[in-house]
Formats: sequence, structure tokens, C-alpha cells
Amino acid sequence: MYYMNNNLRIKEAADFLGISVATLRRWDTKGRLAVQRKERGEHRLYSITRLEEFLTSRCLELAEKWIKDKISKRPHAIFYCPDSSIFQARLYKLRSALSPREEIESFYSLLISIVGEIGDNSFGHNIGNWPDITGIFFGYDIKNRVIVLADRGQGVLKTLKRVKPELVDDSEALRVAFTEVVSGRYPENRGNGLKYVRQIIEQNPFDLFFQSGEAKLSLGRNNLELKIKKTKDSFRGCLAIIRF
Amino acid sequence: MIINIKKFGAILTSRQLGKEAWAAFLPDLNNISEDEKVYLDFSGVDVFSPSWGDEFLTNLYKKFGERLVLKRSTNSSVVATIDILQKVNHLKFNIE
Repeated sequence: MYYMNNNLRIKEAADFLGISVATLRRWDTKGRLAVQRKERGEHRLYSITRLEEFLTSRCLELAEKWIKDKISKRPHAIFYCPDSSIFQARLYKLRSALSPREEIESFYSLLISIVGEIGDNSFGHNIGNWPDITGIFFGYDIKNRVIVLADRGQGVLKTLKRVKPELVDDSEALRVAFTEVVSGRYPENRGNGLKYVRQIIEQNPFDLFFQSGEAKLSLGRNNLELKIKKTKDSFRGCLAIIRF
Repeated sequence: MIINIKKFGAILTSRQLGKEAWAAFLPDLNNISEDEKVYLDFSGVDVFSPSWGDEFLTNLYKKFGERLVLKRSTNSSVVATIDILQKVNHLKFNIE
């Protein structure tokens, strides 16, 4: 949707956030998302910039909610990358957001590189086969140094089973994806992306959480050994959270 | 011949775009004489990753072998990508 100016009235702001006006009023009362100013004492106005900041600060929660939701719907436009060209454009935006920060300048290229690999993996492995929503959720909160990518695609097990039919569960599939050179699109030569991600995470001050199906993997600064555990909650697709 | 990789973009992480870059550049490569070297210059590339790199660099290596020379880069994502491409594809790039 296109907005004529940066300030939205309460109904527009509620639509922008995908919630009801009543909820937005309640959030104002509770101070969760306070109205910024009132026009001649009558209308509540919310700036789009502030609403986007609010969504950004909740990107982790929103990505998890989106991937676990039984009802399939597109994520908010600020996170939604329906195709790889939009994802590519948003990587440039991420670079702009990261590069002025001196303390992370030295490794921003590696960080964007692994984000690019994970996102590209989602598009590459699900092309023409998205079960419901086409594309990915891509959000980042620079202030809290976190990046999240999620897809409602086929998941690692189903993708890898095409070339390794002996795989039996999500945990085994995740281990193979992060340790073995094997392509889910055989005979196409691919299958090094997640190994690369692992290598970069191990050598830099980053942490990775990756879940597909009922298996979750964690790897990072205080956890250099690949740890894969079975989760209570399961979903189709992949969820990746990178902290830096 | 010198190929300036930055002409393909500053962020090169997409396999699809790597494939397109290879296809678009292939006609130029067919005009290279048998003893000519092909230099790859990464100056100006901000972000590089194995998906794009595999489509372009690995194919270049298959075509030119030792005649392909990668100019040494200080960009950490370029260095890391070259490293993993060598490992997974069992090849050794000529870097100078």
C-alpha cells in the first residue's frame, strides 16, 4: 500500500500492522506502542518510521509466528521477499545498514555472505515447489544485532531425501546439510552453502540457530561443536537466526 | 584478459545470478587465444559467496585450468569463498 505522508491515522496504522484498531488503542494505553501525537487534539497519528521500527524490533517473534502458523499468509511487506531479486535488493539495504558501524565493518562482508547463502538456499531448493507461501521472511534488527530468515518451503529432510533416500529424520538431515557436500538438486553441482555458513560461524563472533522440521541446530562463539536436538514444536520449512 | 568481477555487482551471493553471469560472459571467453591467461580481479566486490562463485569461478577453472589466475583479494568473503570452493570441488586456484 502507498501512503501519501509519513503520519498515519489509527485505522491506517492498524492496517499497516495487520491488527485491529482496538488492539492498537490497547497498546497505546499500556505503553507498548504509544501514539506519537494527536492532530488538533482529535486524531491519533503514528509515523510509518516508528511503526517500521516497532515491527523490526519484533522480527524474531514475527518470523517464528509466521513459520509456525497453521494458516498460511504472506508476512508483512517490510519482511517479505517473494522472489530472489527482492531478497537480493534487501541484501544491499542490509549492507547499507551495517557498513557505517565501525565495530562490525571488518566482518560485515562475511555476515551478509552467509545471510545471502541461507536465503539463496531457500529459493534454490523450493523453486516451483513452494507448498503454500512463495518466498521468504527476511528481517533484521541491527540495534539488537540479530538477523532472521524463514521459509515455509519443503524443509531440509524432504529436499535431501531426493539424493539421500536413506535419511530418516530431520536431525540426520540437518547434520548432513551442515557437514557433507551433497546436493538436493542432483545432478546440479551444489551443496556447499551450509558448509560454508558453518565454517564462517565457527571462525567469527556469530551465533547460529537453525531449525527445520523437528530438529534444531545451534552453533556459535561459546558452542563450536555442532549441536542438533529434537524440538517439541515442529514446522515445515526452515528458520535461521543469526546473532552478531 | 582481465575480468573485473565488480562489473557483475557489489553483492554476489545468488546462484541464479552467477549462472546468468556465466552465460552472458561465455561468448567473450570463446575469443581468448590458447596461450592467453585469464585474470580475475575482485576489487570493488563487497560481498561474495559460494553459490555465485561456484557458478562462475568453478566453470572458469574447468575451462581454463592453470591459465585462470585469481588476483589476491583482501575481502574476507572473497577469501573464504575461494577457500571453500577449492575444498569442496577438489581444485587449486592459481592465486597471485
